[in-house]
Amino acid sequence: MSHWLLSSMLAAALVPVGAGAATAGQAAAAADTGIPVESDLVRQKCGSCHTPGPDRMMTRISYRRASPENWELTIKRMVGIHNVALAPADARAILKYLSDHHGLAPDEVKPARWEAERRQDDFTYTADATTTQICTVCHSLGRVLTERRTKPEWDLLIAMHRGYYPGVDNQPMYQGQGFRRTRKADPAPGADNRDPAVKAVAHLSTAFPLVTPEWRAWSAAMQLPAMAGTWIVAGYERGTGPVFGEFTVTADAGAPDAFTTRTDLTIAGKKVTRAGRATVYTGFQWRGRAAADGDKGTWREVMMIERGGREMSGRWFTGAHDEIGIDVTLTKVGADPIVVGTSVLSLKAGTTQTVSIYGANLPASLTPAVVTFGSGIQVTRVAALSPGRLDADVTVAADARVGPRDVMVAGAARPQALVVYAKVDGIRVLPQSGMARVGGVVFPKQLAQFEAVGFTNGPDGKPGTADDLMLGPVDATWSVEEYTATFGDDDLQFAGAIDASGMFTPAVDGPNPERSGNRNNVGDLWVVAQHTPPGATAPLKARSYLLISVPVYMRWYGPMVDAGGEK
Amino acid sequence: MKHLKSINQKAARVERHVMHNTPAAVATAAEHDVVALQRGGPPQQPSAPHIPLGCSLVFSPGWEADRTGGTAGLCQPVERDLFDCHIGCYWPAQVPDQLNHAPDWTNKCAAAQKDWRKIDLVFP
Repeated sequence: MSHWLLSSMLAAALVPVGAGAATAGQAAAAADTGIPVESDLVRQKCGSCHTPGPDRMMTRISYRRASPENWELTIKRMVGIHNVALAPADARAILKYLSDHHGLAPDEVKPARWEAERRQDDFTYTADATTTQICTVCHSLGRVLTERRTKPEWDLLIAMHRGYYPGVDNQPMYQGQGFRRTRKADPAPGADNRDPAVKAVAHLSTAFPLVTPEWRAWSAAMQLPAMAGTWIVAGYERGTGPVFGEFTVTADAGAPDAFTTRTDLTIAGKKVTRAGRATVYTGFQWRGRAAADGDKGTWREVMMIERGGREMSGRWFTGAHDEIGIDVTLTKVGADPIVVGTSVLSLKAGTTQTVSIYGANLPASLTPAVVTFGSGIQVTRVAALSPGRLDADVTVAADARVGPRDVMVAGAARPQALVVYAKVDGIRVLPQSGMARVGGVVFPKQLAQFEAVGFTNGPDGKPGTADDLMLGPVDATWSVEEYTATFGDDDLQFAGAIDASGMFTPAVDGPNPERSGNRNNVGDLWVVAQHTPPGATAPLKARSYLLISVPVYMRWYGPMVDAGGEK
Repeated sequence: MKHLKSINQKAARVERHVMHNTPAAVATAAEHDVVALQRGGPPQQPSAPHIPLGCSLVFSPGWEADRTGGTAGLCQPVERDLFDCHIGCYWPAQVPDQLNHAPDWTNKCAAAQKDWRKIDLVFP
């Protein structure tokens, strides 16, 4: 018996519910319009299992839409578990086809864009508690939000989970239940005693159906804007501050919607140049990777291109450490001058300083009169000028009104580029909750970068209210303190250390014989920042919670969706 | 600590730690942030810390954190229980499952607590 046949039989044996329900799914899907598969490659490579039906429909594939990342996971599973033989080039072509034709519309991606951008932001899905509970016991809800399926397909997804992970039926965590109802039925009349998985499918099939107005509109209108050209990068890196640079995109004739790129950035005064390549999926999802000479990790670029093609935004992060990255907005350079940001995010009333303004096509000669920051700020001199940057000497009046200011240069404007303030009323440590993972022996460490940002209380004079004005990063001295979650566990001694830039590096993985019970070097700490504003006598202090946790032994997103990366 | 009276040795130790030990500990007590497995969190997080902490990197309370968001309730060291998770298909998003993704994961590693350096990271 061939290995392939054996594994197919095993797969069929393992997923009996899935196999049976596929027929039911097909029947129901006839009413629920599927997506015809027009790609001969997909039909050929996937068709031996995904039976082609009438109207060029294929089982499963025609009734699902998903993000490139989710399609990649599926393809990897087909190769890894179902032994599909796919050449890397074919896998990339299939991924591109499915992401383009069975993909998501921009409005469908936006609410969950953090998933592909690998952000550690806080997110709560409030639309359905059962869905949140049974899905996030194991994985990010981002995987769910970047899927669209027919009702039979959602049922099959549940069946797939039951087949692959038999524990899901009764894996109650965090006061929750598994896919099955593991609590006694509520005898109250009208009580909803359905299994959690049934409730979740009822929600998912209405909240995330295959056919949506958004996809209908986007799949008809989808076309890739002219990407080639020069883009201005305005970014922000936690712990560093504003980052500016240039991004040059050249079309790559070798593959559809593919590009080569060159990145010139200035990060903390240091010039960084990277060369890369990228592919755009579904007409708006930029996936690239770039590397500089001597780069430890290749940089990933995950961005959404705005309709019209004048702007794209997202996150660039290192391949080795998803947690280290830059939030970026790129603006296409045309004929007009543009301003994308300033070197500082706030100006103190009653001070004089030089502010760098970044942009493109800035005029060759300028008088201070056409560089404006709004009321209370006077530009006394244009100190240096190039097409991409000008340095302006500014004087901020002692009685300048507190609040955000727009910066304008010869008609080009950057709204709310910076804030005028009278006094730093306090600082905050961001993120408010951070996480690191021990590592370094077997697994990479997960680092945690913190930063201290100043704020002023705003018109109401009270801290912690909506009108507080954030002033950008401030210099801070960093330390860690014990957060007594486990009494006497000496986390301070074992868990790791924070450096002068606010970067926490956890200790090594593995059991530590020096700790009681051979504990790993996990722990709970306060990350404490102190900042003394100029002229102040007492320091301002703030802190964040840091969890130093165990490694994950599965890396679901390995080599990322991109132009030509190895699969 | 105002409303609690210690009735066993461990509680007395906690009380001593909080009330009488060091200036830092006294400051800690003033901020009521001795937290363990009780519901609710420290002053900075008046409700229980929101877990998952991150949306795309951190998954479930239980693997990375206990129900309060801390490490007190974790199975420690993680290597002690790892094979049970692997064989029992528990934490399938965090630990390679023996059933499908990594049937040979433990071949090089007879006892994770001793041989943990040989554990592989799995890219499914």
